[in-house]
Amino acid sequence: MLTGALAADLAVNGLVTGLFYGLMAIGLALIFGVLRIVNFAHGEFYMVGAYAYTIVAARLGVPLVVALPFAFLFGAALGWVVERTLMRPLYANIGSWGLMRDEYAVIVTFGLSLLLVNLVDKAIGPYAFRAPALVSASRIVVGPALMSGQKVAAAGVTLAVLALIALFLRFSYWGRAVRAVSQNRLGASLAGIDATAVSSLVFSLAGGLAALAGALLSPIINASPDVGAFPAIKSYVIVVLGGMGSIPGAFIASLLLGLVESFGAVLVSYQYRDTFGLVLLILFLLFRPQGLFGERGREV
Amino acid sequence: MRYVSHLAIAAFTLSASLAGNANAADPIKVGVTVTQSPPGSVVQGTQVKDGLEVVAKMLNDQGGVNGRPIELVIEDTQGLPEKARAGVEKLITRDKVVAIVGEHQSSNVLAGMEVAHRYHIPYINTNGWADAIREKGYPEMFNPNNYNRRVAMAAADSIKKLGAKKVVAFAENTDYGIGLAKGIGEQLKAVAPEISYRFDTLDRAAKDYLPAILPLRADPPDVVVDVMLPPAAYIMMNQVYEQGIAPSAKTWFYDASGLADYPDFWQNVKEAGKGLLVFGLYHPKMQAPALAKTVGDAYTAKTGAQPNRLLYQAADSLLVLADALKRANSTDPGALVKALEETKYTGTRGEITFSKEAGYKNHQWLDIPYVTFQVTEIGQKVADTPLVEQPGQPLDPSKLARP
Amino acid sequence: MSGDIRLMREFIATAVLLLLLALLPLLTRDVYWLGVLVVSAYFAILASSWNLLAGFTGQFSLAPAAFAMIGAYGAALSSAYYNVPPIAGLIIGSGVAGLIGLVLGRIVMRLKGPYLALTTLSFAEIARLVASNSINITRGDLGLPLEPWFNDRVVWFYVFLGALAFIIGGLYLLLRSKAGLFLEAIRDDEIAAARSGVRIVFWKTAAFAISSAAAGFAGALYAYFASLVTPELGLVQQTGLVVSMTVIGGMGSLIGPVVGAFLVYVTSEWLRDVGGWQLVIFAALVIVFARLFRTGLWGLVTAALATRRQRPA
Repeated sequence: MLTGALAADLAVNGLVTGLFYGLMAIGLALIFGVLRIVNFAHGEFYMVGAYAYTIVAARLGVPLVVALPFAFLFGAALGWVVERTLMRPLYANIGSWGLMRDEYAVIVTFGLSLLLVNLVDKAIGPYAFRAPALVSASRIVVGPALMSGQKVAAAGVTLAVLALIALFLRFSYWGRAVRAVSQNRLGASLAGIDATAVSSLVFSLAGGLAALAGALLSPIINASPDVGAFPAIKSYVIVVLGGMGSIPGAFIASLLLGLVESFGAVLVSYQYRDTFGLVLLILFLLFRPQGLFGERGREV
Repeated sequence: MRYVSHLAIAAFTLSASLAGNANAADPIKVGVTVTQSPPGSVVQGTQVKDGLEVVAKMLNDQGGVNGRPIELVIEDTQGLPEKARAGVEKLITRDKVVAIVGEHQSSNVLAGMEVAHRYHIPYINTNGWADAIREKGYPEMFNPNNYNRRVAMAAADSIKKLGAKKVVAFAENTDYGIGLAKGIGEQLKAVAPEISYRFDTLDRAAKDYLPAILPLRADPPDVVVDVMLPPAAYIMMNQVYEQGIAPSAKTWFYDASGLADYPDFWQNVKEAGKGLLVFGLYHPKMQAPALAKTVGDAYTAKTGAQPNRLLYQAADSLLVLADALKRANSTDPGALVKALEETKYTGTRGEITFSKEAGYKNHQWLDIPYVTFQVTEIGQKVADTPLVEQPGQPLDPSKLARP
Repeated sequence: MSGDIRLMREFIATAVLLLLLALLPLLTRDVYWLGVLVVSAYFAILASSWNLLAGFTGQFSLAPAAFAMIGAYGAALSSAYYNVPPIAGLIIGSGVAGLIGLVLGRIVMRLKGPYLALTTLSFAEIARLVASNSINITRGDLGLPLEPWFNDRVVWFYVFLGALAFIIGGLYLLLRSKAGLFLEAIRDDEIAAARSGVRIVFWKTAAFAISSAAAGFAGALYAYFASLVTPELGLVQQTGLVVSMTVIGGMGSLIGPVVGAFLVYVTSEWLRDVGGWQLVIFAALVIVFARLFRTGLWGLVTAALATRRQRPA
């Protein structure tokens, strides 16, 4: 029975969830736009960020305003290292994969994902960690909905960060360089833009954003070695739905996915809530591979 | 010169170790399967493991069983039935254990007991509540622990005494969750058919249950029942509280899984825990045999944690086995099974006997003691909570604290 | 070295390896270690099936574990609800997996690289969620039990070894024929292959169907061995293991997945007592091999032998 009150509740909660998905997926969309690969280790950057924040804040007692940016920087640093050591063969023509660069990317990022999950599992331990919340109120009223203080704070930070990213991409030199390389790598480098530097920047940024998402949500979704699996799958769905490489597309698709899952869980099936996105992904890849906002003609 | 002295040392060490072996008694190996890594409940696994180790040490300090020390051989199942099956097989075929104890997850018991049955090795079920375990009727199975039907009866009885009219339960999508949720429904229909009851199945691996919880805001029930285990249970409880549903002035929260005594309960659940009604298999204020205090103190000395029900269930599992070993005076599986059947032993929770009836009563200790207590303050230790129901003291809603 | 001779060398090497393995029960009757080898053989069949699709045809599916799970459930469900004998269960399991693979392969035909990976990953997750949530039919996480087929561990060892030999033999015959040429052509350059007249649609779909049927066969056989089928068979981690084994052993070679499977799984069990860092090591190896030694261990071995042969006498 979908009453107006319930619908409003579902809408607000769905949008907030979508915001978090967005923070996670933007990085993946950027990577795809510039490097033309899907990073199968994306979820592990989220996980690393969750741990970085939790360990630094809970174990070392660092103040939260420092712990949060620390998590971001940690993810960004990891992204930079990964790009330098593993991603170069994609465009520098080294390594023996030749025409099978896509397959190389799949295998190497898949392997990276396994490595990070098991490394954390062995080095830190498999138990879930509880992280301190940014705001300790249990219940805050947001329009028609009730949500925990942590969620409200996280949503606020997410909106701010997303706005910053938008401004960065629009107005700064490097932001425009990213958009240029994303549209046409060869053309951009002919115009004098260092495409390799842009790749580094984007991979680091994506790593940092995913880590930040992990950190923000860690008080709600406790850090554990396999915590990255579910945000990763959501990100893949969003990037495909929004159009591979389209940043505004990714943002809209995130909100849409949040709403679809929220309403679908109540109206269609709660158990299969996670399959809606997966089914949408398959359908889009088959019938509308450019997603909602991507460009046509992109070879799939 | 040095060569000769080295040879002498070597000879001396060799003969000393041989002599040592001749004097030391052969240990009795007891196989243990517990969860020590995700996705299973590591908290449960560790409580069971610690409990078994405490009792094993106690037994060995008293000279062992039949003059031989008990040696626990532990396998990590990760909470996965396939690993439990493989673990039991390894313990029986490679380590040659005399019995299997310690399993705390129903689906793992069901997987492991098939192997034990095939090799006719006794299997003492430490915490598998599923009725299906008993209904198979395997002669090697012994159940000195709680069973779903018991919890269902207790829950239904408590709910009826609370005077509820509408009840919603959240169950995890495992045999435990669904089995118990269904059982509660059946018992309610039997003792209070006027109560409307339904349960939602939640995926224990999911991180967000809002879509299942939100619809309750408009139409809150009188009691919300928890049939889930951590960490999913904590997420659900927090969200049910966050949405203003329970515990609240209108709605009771009845925790049928007895989570309030878990070591990580208060770390994960804050205000959501205040006012909670908890089904418990152990409470410090309840009547218990003297052995319980001995074991409990030893456990606290070893782990620094307060005693909990899994400790006592684990302790009784091993004590019952030791008692049977003493009476059979042998480690032969057939003799052990026979001895176990004749058990009449006072463990840490009461006098344990195993019923010979079929169905869910098969080889089950029927009169498992249980209690209900209420959490009245945030962060409250179980020992400080008021006991609102125990054997001989029925539940009285007028005595409960209203949130 | 021409492809034919290379393939024959790989086949002979695999045959030798299998023969050596077949002699093991003469040395030890240890039930536990024979069990480890049985599971290694299961992975070897699964990895070989994935290798056909990814290593030889260039279609990087992330669903091999899901197809094994489908095959296992096919056998278990038909056994539990219709009491079919084990041989029929095996056929049903592989058949259902192969059919679903055929359909999926046709659907994803035009997808490549990460798009194919994403789609097959989504399919795999959906399959696992369906198996896990259909509690009334599959009993979900509790698992579906089956009557065990053989009780003797040594018999099971030879059954699995025989099944592995059967699959390798089949793959060898397939790859030695024109089909092998077509598949590798598709892998190396699909557009050029199409222009040379290779029927892309047919062969890509066929590779998917055969690979899935083989994976389903492995799963069904394993179901009878373990006497219990759970959705855990289809976890992405299991696919991760399969991919690791194939990459480390050597993708695109007949013997690579077999070597990789036995090496990785046996070492993993052996190291289990020692502390459990083996998964970290294997994942690191996958990255290292992908980055530096694309042809895997087998590639390293053949390269070393080749340089040895070329050294002046």
